[in-house]
Amino acid sequence: MIKDITQKPLLELKKLTISYRSRSQTRPVLRNVDLSLHRGEILGLIGESGAGKSTVGNAIIGLLAPEFVQTSGSILFEGRALEGMDEQERDALRSRRIAAIFQDHTMSLDPLMSIGAQLTEAIRAACPDLSGKQTRGRAIELLTRVGIESPSERYHSYPHQLSGGQRQRVVIAIALSGTPDIIVADEPTSALDATIQKQILQLLRELVAETGVSIILVTHDMGVISEIADTVVVMRDGNVVEHGSTATLLDHPVEPYTRDLLAAVPRLRISSGKRTDPTFAVVNNASADDEEPAKRAAILVVSGVTKAFGRTSFGWSRKPRKPALQDISLELKPGAITGIVGESGSGKSTIGRIIAGLETACEGEIVIDGTRVDVASRRQPGGMLGRVQMIFQDPAMSLNPRLPIGDTLAESVRFGSAPSTDARLAISVIMDRLGLPMTFLTRYPHQLSGGQKQRVCIARALLAKPRIIVADEPTSALDVSVQAEIVELLGQAVSQEGISMLFISHDLALVQALCSSIYIFQNGSVVDGGSPEFIFGRSTNAYTRCLIDARPERFTI
Amino acid sequence: MSTDFIETLRRRMPTGSIPFSKALLGTYILVALAAPIIAPQNPYDLLQIRGWEASAAPGTMGGDGYIYWLGTDGLGRDIVSTILYGLRISLLVSIVSTAIAAVVGVTAGVVAAYFGGWVDALVMRIVDLQLSLPTILVALIAIVTLGPGIDRIILAIIIVQWATYGRVTRAVALSEIGKSYLDAVRLLRLPKKRILLRHVMPNSIAPALTLIPIELGHAIALEATLSFLGLGVPIDKPSLGSTVAAGFQYLMTGQYWISLFPGLALLGLIAAINFVGEDTRSKLDPRSRSL
Amino acid sequence: MLSIFTRRVSQALLLLLVMSLIGFVGIHSVGNPVFNVVNIETATVEDIRNATIALGLDQPLWRQYFLFMGNVVTGDFGTSYVYHLPAFKLLLSKLPATLELAVIAMALAAPGGVLLGLWAGRHQGGAADRAILRGSVLALSIPSFWLSMMLILGGALLTGWFPSGGRGATLSFAGQDWSVLTLDGLRHVFLPALALALPNVALIARLARAGTIEVERQDFIRFCRAKGLSSKRILFRHTLPNISIPLVTIIGMQFGGMLAFAVVVETIFAWPGIGKLLIDSIQFLDRPVVMATLTFISVAFIALNAVVDLLYAVLDPRVRLST
Repeated sequence: MIKDITQKPLLELKKLTISYRSRSQTRPVLRNVDLSLHRGEILGLIGESGAGKSTVGNAIIGLLAPEFVQTSGSILFEGRALEGMDEQERDALRSRRIAAIFQDHTMSLDPLMSIGAQLTEAIRAACPDLSGKQTRGRAIELLTRVGIESPSERYHSYPHQLSGGQRQRVVIAIALSGTPDIIVADEPTSALDATIQKQILQLLRELVAETGVSIILVTHDMGVISEIADTVVVMRDGNVVEHGSTATLLDHPVEPYTRDLLAAVPRLRISSGKRTDPTFAVVNNASADDEEPAKRAAILVVSGVTKAFGRTSFGWSRKPRKPALQDISLELKPGAITGIVGESGSGKSTIGRIIAGLETACEGEIVIDGTRVDVASRRQPGGMLGRVQMIFQDPAMSLNPRLPIGDTLAESVRFGSAPSTDARLAISVIMDRLGLPMTFLTRYPHQLSGGQKQRVCIARALLAKPRIIVADEPTSALDVSVQAEIVELLGQAVSQEGISMLFISHDLALVQALCSSIYIFQNGSVVDGGSPEFIFGRSTNAYTRCLIDARPERFTI
Repeated sequence: MSTDFIETLRRRMPTGSIPFSKALLGTYILVALAAPIIAPQNPYDLLQIRGWEASAAPGTMGGDGYIYWLGTDGLGRDIVSTILYGLRISLLVSIVSTAIAAVVGVTAGVVAAYFGGWVDALVMRIVDLQLSLPTILVALIAIVTLGPGIDRIILAIIIVQWATYGRVTRAVALSEIGKSYLDAVRLLRLPKKRILLRHVMPNSIAPALTLIPIELGHAIALEATLSFLGLGVPIDKPSLGSTVAAGFQYLMTGQYWISLFPGLALLGLIAAINFVGEDTRSKLDPRSRSL
Repeated sequence: MLSIFTRRVSQALLLLLVMSLIGFVGIHSVGNPVFNVVNIETATVEDIRNATIALGLDQPLWRQYFLFMGNVVTGDFGTSYVYHLPAFKLLLSKLPATLELAVIAMALAAPGGVLLGLWAGRHQGGAADRAILRGSVLALSIPSFWLSMMLILGGALLTGWFPSGGRGATLSFAGQDWSVLTLDGLRHVFLPALALALPNVALIARLARAGTIEVERQDFIRFCRAKGLSSKRILFRHTLPNISIPLVTIIGMQFGGMLAFAVVVETIFAWPGIGKLLIDSIQFLDRPVVMATLTFISVAFIALNAVVDLLYAVLDPRVRLST
C-alpha cells in the first residue's frame, strides 16, 4: 500500500516512557519510544518477550494496569496529546476511535452472552441513534463482513459454540462496530493454527483497504509482519531498536539485533534439492559415516494405533477429551529424526505420548527396539521400558519447581535405564556439552530462562540413556532466537549420542531443517508422509499443499 | 501456585492490623502455656473453689482479699482462671485435630489424584458427601455416634475437616500431575513412593497449608459450639465454649459476665487466628484474596 | 444436564443410606431408650421387657435398621418416645418455624452481602474495601451461640427492644402457624434471624468481592471497556451475571447451612423449630425423631443442591447448551 508520507500522522508517540511501580521499586518498561501511524497503515510492532511491545499497545488503548505509569513523553492523536485531555474526552476518544483485538480469543468474549448481544451492545455504544432493527441489521452486516457463515443463525450462538477462528472473527467484528480509526491488535493470530492465521490476516488486510482503518499489530512473529505490515518497529527491552518500511527492514536490516532476529526465523524451502541451510547445517552430519538410515531396521514401528475419545469412569473425566487417532502407522530409523507435523487437534501429541507410554491406545501395535509394547495396558509393563524419554513444549512446566537442577538431573542418572557408576561425571559431561555451567546445579528452575530450562530438560532426557527421544513442540514456547539454539542442540544430540528422535511440531520449516522423514497428521490420521524432498517438492496431497501455502511467503525460499 | 513458597514467606511485610493480630495470637498461646503459673485459682481443684462466692460481679473482693476482676461463675470459680484453663483445652483440641485432619486430608488428596480410577472415585465420593453437608451437621452426626469426651471431640473435628484438605489438595495435585515435569518423572520410572513424596506432595501442599489457620479457627468455634450444645467437653474441665454455655442460664437473670468475658476471649482468639490466616493466604497467593 | 441430575439422585440415595445407618447406629449406642418410656426406679423387669418389645428393641440391630428403612420409604419414621406423636408429623409441625427463620435471615443476608461485596470489589484496596474485609473476618470469627447470647443481652435484656425468645403471636395460614404474619411474631423473629444472617452477610460479601475482582480482571471485561461500554452497563450486564454463578451456589448452600445452624440459634432463642427439636431429641435419646430430622435435613440439602444445579444451568449457557 502506498501512503502519503506528507500527510499528518493519525497517531504519534513522542518519547513515551512508562514505568512499572510497585511498593519496593520503580522500573522503566518503555524508554523514549517514538513512533507514528498514518491513516490506512498497518504498523507491525515486533519484539521478543519482555520487549515492551504489549505495553505500547495497552498505553494507546488506555488499558494499562494501574501499576504502569506514564512518566514522560506523550501520545498524540490527530496532533492532540491524550494526556492533555480531560478524562471524559479521552475515554470517549478511545472508545469511539481506537478499538482493540486481544490475543486470547477464548477470553475476549463474555461466556454468558450470545455473540449477537455482545455485538449489538458495542454498536449501540458507538452509535446510540440507531433503531433496534438497524442495530441488528448492522450486526448481521458486520458478521457477514468478517466471514461468519450463516450470520443470522450464528447471531444467537454463545462463544463456546464457535471455533477459535470464528471467535476471533467476532472479536474483529466488535472492534469494527464503531468504525474506528485505529485498531490495536495484540497478537491477534498467535493462538490460532497457521491456516486460520492466514485467513484472519487476509481479512485484516481487506478491512484496511476497504475502510482505511489503521492497525497497530503487536506480534512476536516475523512471519505475520512480513505478510501484512507496511512498516515495522523492532523493540527490545523497552527501546525501539529499528524502524522502517517492512520491505527495507526485512531485506536490509541495519541493526545487529534485527539481523539476528531475522536470521533466526526458520525458512521453508519448497524447491527440492540438498539442504544447505546454514542455520541447521550441523544436523545433516547425523550418521553420515554410517550406512544409510533407510536401509537399517526401524527402531520404532507403530502400526494401526487407534484411540477413541478420552476414557471416563463414573462420570469423572480425568483428562480433557483428546481427538481420536485412527489407524496410525509410522516408523523411525535408528539415528534418524522423524517429524510429525499437524495443526492443533490433529493427534500429533497424543501419538507421541502413546509411544512414550504416558497414554494408552485402544488397539494397534508398537515395537520399540524389537520389543512389543502393550498399548492398551494402563500399567504399561512394556511402554515404560525406559527406552523412550520426552522433551516437552513448555519448559516452565517441565521441571519440578521445588527441586534444584542438580537433583532433577541426578534422578535421571540414578533411575535411568543405564546404570551409571559416577553420576556427577555423567552430569558434568552432559552439562558441558549442552553449554550449561555447573553452577546451575544448585539453582532452582525459576532462576533460569526459558531456553536454559529447555537445555536442562534435554540433559535430563539424555542422562536417562534412552534409545528414542520424543520432542513435543520443544521450541514453540521459546523466543525465536532461543529456538534456533535448541534445535541445533537437538540435532547434535541425535548425532552424538546415537539416539533416534521423533520431532513433533506445527512448524514446517523447523521440521524440514531437522528431519529426514516427515508424517503429516490431520484429524487423527496420517494423511501424507515421506522425505522432506517429497513433501515439500513433489507431494500432491491437498492438505500438505494447504499447510505449505499458509507459510509466510517472505520466509519461503 | 507460587513457585517459591518459602521465599514469599520470608519476604512478607507487616501491614496494618496484622502485627497486632499476630501479637494477640502470641499472647494467647503464651498465656495458655503459662496458665497453671499465672492463674489465681485452679478451677479443676474443688478445694480452691468457694461455692459461697458464686456469681460474684466483676470487681468483687473475695473472702481472702483476692479481687475477682471478671467475677465468678455459678459454681464460684474465678472467671479469669476459668478463661485461662479453658483456653488450654480449646487450643489443645483444635491444634491436635487440625494437624491430624491436615495430614489425613493431604495424603488422601494426593493419593486420590495420583492413582485415579476407583481409589479416586471412592475418596472423592466420601469427600463430596461430607462437603455437601454443613459442618455442624456432620459434627453432630459424628459426636452423636462417637459419644462425649475430649478425644471424641477431636475425632469429630478431624472427620469434619479432613475432607476440605482432601478436596483442595486433590485439585492442585491433579493440575500438577497434568504438568509435564511429572510426565518426565514417570518416564524415568521412579518408584511410586518417591514420585509422590518428592514430586507431587511438595508441589501440592501449599494451598492446604494456607487452609490451616482458617480451619484452626473453625475447629475452635466448632468445639465451642458442640460444648455449648452439651455434646462437647465435660463440664468439670470446661473449654471456653462450655464456660460460655454454663453462663447462659445466668444471662437471663442479669449475670452477664459469666458468658460475656469467656465469649470475648473466644472471639479474640478466633479473630486473631483468622486475621493471621488471611494475611498468610493473601501473601502466598495474591490472586485469591477471597473467602 | 441429565448426567448432572442422575449424579445428584445417586448422591442423594448414597447420602441417605450412610446418614441413616450412622444415625441409627449412633443413637442406638448412646443409651437405652427404654428408660425414657418407663420409670427406672419403679419399673419391673416385666415392664422393661414389654417396653422393649413395644419399641421393637428386642430385634437384632440389622433387622431394626431394615424395618426402619422400610418404614422410611413409606414416610413412617416411627413414633416419638417423648411426644408420642408420629416423628415425621412432629417434624413437619416444627418446619414452618425453621423455614421462616431461615428465609428471613437469607433475605437479610443475601442482598446485604452482595451489595457490600460489589462495593468492596469495585473499590479494591480502598478504605471501604479494607473495612469490609476486616469486618467480614471479624463477623466470621464470632461463634454463633455467643453472638445469639449477646444479641439477647443487648437487644432484649438491656434495652427491651425485642423479646428474648419464643415465637410470639402466630397466624394460621395454609394449615400452619406463621410468626411472620403478625407484628409481634416479626419482633420475635428479628433477633434470631439477625444471628443467623450476620456470618452469612460476611461470607456472601467476601465471595461477591472476590468474584467481582476476578471477573473484572478478565480479558472480556477489558474488551468491553475497549469497545466503549459504560461502566454501569459492564457492571450489570457482564460482571454481575458472571459473578452470579458462584453466588447462587453459595447462597443455596448457605440456605441449607442455615437450616443446620438453626440448631444453635433455635436452642438459644427457644425458637420451636426443627433445630431445637433435633437437639432436644438427641438429649432425650428420642431415636425416631433424631432419625427423621437428620434424614429430612439431608434430603433438604440434596434437593437444594439440585435446585442450585438447575439455576447454574439456567445462568450458564456453557452448561445449558452442552448435551
